[in-house]
Amino acid sequence: MRKILFPILSILVVASLVLTACAPAAAPGGGEAAQPATEGEASGETYASVVEAGELVPPIVAQPCEGDACFCKDKTVTVIVNTAGEKGPISGPFYEVRDEFQAATGATLEIVEVPFAEHFPKLMTDMTTGTGQYDTSIAGAWWLGDLVGGDYILPLDDYYNDTTGKFPKWDIEDVQQGPRDLLTYDGKLYMVANDHDGQVMYYRRDLLEDPAHQAAFKEKYGYDLKVPDTWQEFRDVAEYFDGKDLNGDGTPDDGLTMHLKVGGQGMFHFMSFAAPFVIGPDNPKLFWFDPETMTPLMDSPGHQRAMETLIDLVQFGPEAMMGWSLGESWDHFLRGQAALTFTWGDLGALAQQEGSAVKGKTGAAPMPGTTEYYDVVAGEWKQVDGVNKVGNTTGGSWAGVISKFSDAPECTYFLLALMATPEKSEVYAYRGWDGVDPGRFSHYLEPNGTNTIDGYLAAGWDAADAESYTNAYFENFGAKMQFPYLRIPGTFEYWTALDIHLSEAATAQKTPAEALQATVEDFEAITDRLGRDVQREIYVKSLGLGE
Amino acid sequence: MRRKTSPIQSILIGGIMFVALLWVLFPFYWAFLNSIKKPADTFRAGAWIPFLQFQPTLEHWISELSIIEIRQALINSTIISLGAATLSVLLGTLAAYALARFRFGKSGNSNFTTWFISQRILPPVVVVIPFFLIMRQLQLLDNVFSLVLLNATFTLPFPVIILSQMIRELPPELEEAAYVDGASVFQGFTRVVLPLILPGLVATWIICMAFSWNEFLFALSLTTKSAIPMPVIIAGAEHTRGVQFWFVGVRVMLTMLPPIVFALLAQRYIIRGLTLGAVKG
Amino acid sequence: MAATDSTKPQARRSDQTKFWFLGPAVVWILVFTIFPLLYALYTSFFSFRFGKINQFVGLANFGRLFTDANLHNGLRVTLTFVIITVTIQMLLGFGLALLLNREMRGKNILRAIMILPLFATPVAMGYLGITLFYEINGPINELIRAFGGSDIPWLSNPFWAQVAIILIDIWQWTPFVFLVSLAALQGLPADLFEAAEVDGASGWQSFRRITLPLMAPVLWLILLLRLVEAFKVFDIPTSLTLGGPGRATEVYSLFTYRTALRFFDHGYAAAQGFLLLLIVSLIVGLLFGRIRSIYQEERN
Repeated sequence: MRKILFPILSILVVASLVLTACAPAAAPGGGEAAQPATEGEASGETYASVVEAGELVPPIVAQPCEGDACFCKDKTVTVIVNTAGEKGPISGPFYEVRDEFQAATGATLEIVEVPFAEHFPKLMTDMTTGTGQYDTSIAGAWWLGDLVGGDYILPLDDYYNDTTGKFPKWDIEDVQQGPRDLLTYDGKLYMVANDHDGQVMYYRRDLLEDPAHQAAFKEKYGYDLKVPDTWQEFRDVAEYFDGKDLNGDGTPDDGLTMHLKVGGQGMFHFMSFAAPFVIGPDNPKLFWFDPETMTPLMDSPGHQRAMETLIDLVQFGPEAMMGWSLGESWDHFLRGQAALTFTWGDLGALAQQEGSAVKGKTGAAPMPGTTEYYDVVAGEWKQVDGVNKVGNTTGGSWAGVISKFSDAPECTYFLLALMATPEKSEVYAYRGWDGVDPGRFSHYLEPNGTNTIDGYLAAGWDAADAESYTNAYFENFGAKMQFPYLRIPGTFEYWTALDIHLSEAATAQKTPAEALQATVEDFEAITDRLGRDVQREIYVKSLGLGE
Repeated sequence: MRRKTSPIQSILIGGIMFVALLWVLFPFYWAFLNSIKKPADTFRAGAWIPFLQFQPTLEHWISELSIIEIRQALINSTIISLGAATLSVLLGTLAAYALARFRFGKSGNSNFTTWFISQRILPPVVVVIPFFLIMRQLQLLDNVFSLVLLNATFTLPFPVIILSQMIRELPPELEEAAYVDGASVFQGFTRVVLPLILPGLVATWIICMAFSWNEFLFALSLTTKSAIPMPVIIAGAEHTRGVQFWFVGVRVMLTMLPPIVFALLAQRYIIRGLTLGAVKG
Repeated sequence: MAATDSTKPQARRSDQTKFWFLGPAVVWILVFTIFPLLYALYTSFFSFRFGKINQFVGLANFGRLFTDANLHNGLRVTLTFVIITVTIQMLLGFGLALLLNREMRGKNILRAIMILPLFATPVAMGYLGITLFYEINGPINELIRAFGGSDIPWLSNPFWAQVAIILIDIWQWTPFVFLVSLAALQGLPADLFEAAEVDGASGWQSFRRITLPLMAPVLWLILLLRLVEAFKVFDIPTSLTLGGPGRATEVYSLFTYRTALRFFDHGYAAAQGFLLLLIVSLIVGLLFGRIRSIYQEERN
């Protein structure tokens, strides 16, 4: 055997030498970069997840317990969370809080990370089998239909209203209306506030304020360059900046960036994008189904125009974004290679951290709107005075639910409540890497909320960025009209179908109309399988329409 | 076929061999590179040579190996592959001996042989759901034991067929001599035949081990927490925000090294094993 | 039947014993395949809700097989994958083996290296593929650029995503075809070729008349083994593209996996499983006579 291993080793050595020889030729311009810039910052070669985590940590809130006060002694709390690691979004804070929680309760905290696409199936599997391995899941809000429908999770009202001082305190009133609605289901509290998701538009303030660009833009489009207010203006701005060098590295950059990989949460893009094409003053609630028949509304002229407009925008972004998850797309923006994007709160905070090329240049605003929307009830397009803008809470709004099969529900609630305390939540909102996004009044600057710019400055924010960011979220979550989040059983499946067909449309395998038609067909099949009447009943209830 | 080779031909052949080796080895090299690059370097062009083009770091190796779940997964994978391979070889050797030395009716032997081979045909996805439901009934979800059982089943054709071919090549007189000395059939098998096929036995065991180690579908479906093996851990490098190249690099290396090293050790018998004994490598 | 003759003396004294040797393996496989298949058959008659049996639906799950466009897509993607990968692997692997079938230095090293891909964990290759096919600065596009080409949209374009998956499978399994063919080629009797050479046969003639016929059984066997494995493809598309963009790389096994363990539609997934089993069995059945003859030759 030794006889053969030696040649193998020598081959490996030779091979690496050969590669050494080829590599410079293979990498034009790479040779000069031989000694890479120390921390990447100058080269602009950064990556969202690479952004340094920084020093900022939330204060200790729970005091260590002694003796009988350790009411969770010998108990284990297992949390299942999207894979992200110790310094990753959503999962990171659990590692951070582990010691504090264990000391305060005597419990042991186990963290199970599963890939995003596997999380819901694993959780459902655990619950349908009654295995009860997971005490809590940091769940996506759109799973509640299945979780509550199957009677798998506990209502938390009793714990929340507990007055014995057993649990850390958090205030549900502090959470702004949009995200607050996601915490309850059918009048009961099921989730402990954590992450608050919603998409806003990000733009490069430096570019929009550049006089040369302003002049050239006006020349071309006949109106002033400004923060886009409608999707038409968004398109113009994206088109204008596409192909221009936006970060001074001498190479052409992109008008916009999105993340459209299948399984990479692309469907959320479509939802927050399509909202103002369908939702409007006369139709505040119907986006998904006709509540009478459960017939999907997804192929209405409004949805179609939304899909066409979105697909049309794809040309102003890098082609690779069809295969991108969030990270790659955010990275693109953070390197200064895209002028516009719309996504979650993580990006605004990531832009402030070390390694970002757009700190101080990143503006945020609520999602653009439309001038007319298709009223699915009346079956006609309706004009709007001004701009029809719709707020959204699209995304996971990842927050803890407690399994009915948990043998330590109180300890579990302690953990979730601890992380929901204002002291912790505030720091989570400041930081980009932890993935916990703002949505509480205590995250917003006065007069919208109760926070001050000092908190953000101390956390390393650019003042203008912080202001524009928190205002954008305040406006988005506070908007009169909100995108109707779907929370009926099978939502995971419905949205997977939408995700796949969106990807087909974006990569020109289907026309927008065909993609929506296919979505409708998939929706119908899912509804039929799960039982049309049951689904309809739950859907009607979830809209708050009553019977 | 075996003509003399002209110098031009040998250069040509050397060239082809060289390209083939590069083609085969490059992905391994790249996985290794990613595992020692700083995150920013993994997304950069022109970072092919450590020290010259980028400063390597061991931080990902250290941080990955310090994760309890990864160490647990390495242990799980080891238990699953060792357990499954041992079970499979144990059952398989017995069956192999039966097929090689006894007659089962008119064409029973070849029928059994093809039946064992046909087990490789069953697509795992057909049985993964029933297995899932059955294991759930048996409370064996998220238990390494269930993966040991399944992998033993699906690798069983290898030992049965490879070893029966090998045993057939041994002269039966050896055992007969032992019977004359008063040995039972079983003793004839353990004392005479087993030692002679030992190298093949070990090689088969290694093949079964590698296949069990690499298995993904059952591992993904039947584990939830404490029984997660390495292939599922790799999938964990896909984060909410996308794939982290540097962690992928480390995890890919950690996962691939054991089966590959073992396969190299058994390389003389690999071909025989993978063709279910039909071709002598 | 030399083997049979030699076993005769013992046959008498071990009528019982032989079943003790064969029995465990047979019972084991029966328990672990027949039972699940029966269970799958049972579930295929029911619909599911929240992961639990909801109601008896008769053959409805099987009826859906005929109308489900997504399923047909999975079938098409899988068939394309199987045909292309297996064809290329066979041609490339056998071709290489023919070229390199001669006395040469370094053959052992070549063999050792060629074994590596066979044992590389497929799901690891998929994730590694994400870094290799990375579109902006990945090494493959970098190489293509160095040779003057332009970036290929490996993972964002439906066509190229399929190519990427096929390339990984080719990387992994061509060495198998190569190694097996080489081993078989070297087992061919040299005197036949010498005789042909003396008779003035050209290289092509001796290839057509001697090599191919002698190699045919082995080639059929390789083809069969590759076909069977290729139809099971799951790991690589699941890890590399998750079936995307759209459903461009959603192979059959991935589709069934999703039906069962993402959407908990266990009954329909079971029906899908049987369809795949039927298809693979039919294809294998067509080739089965040939593989059987290989093992019979060996035996008799």
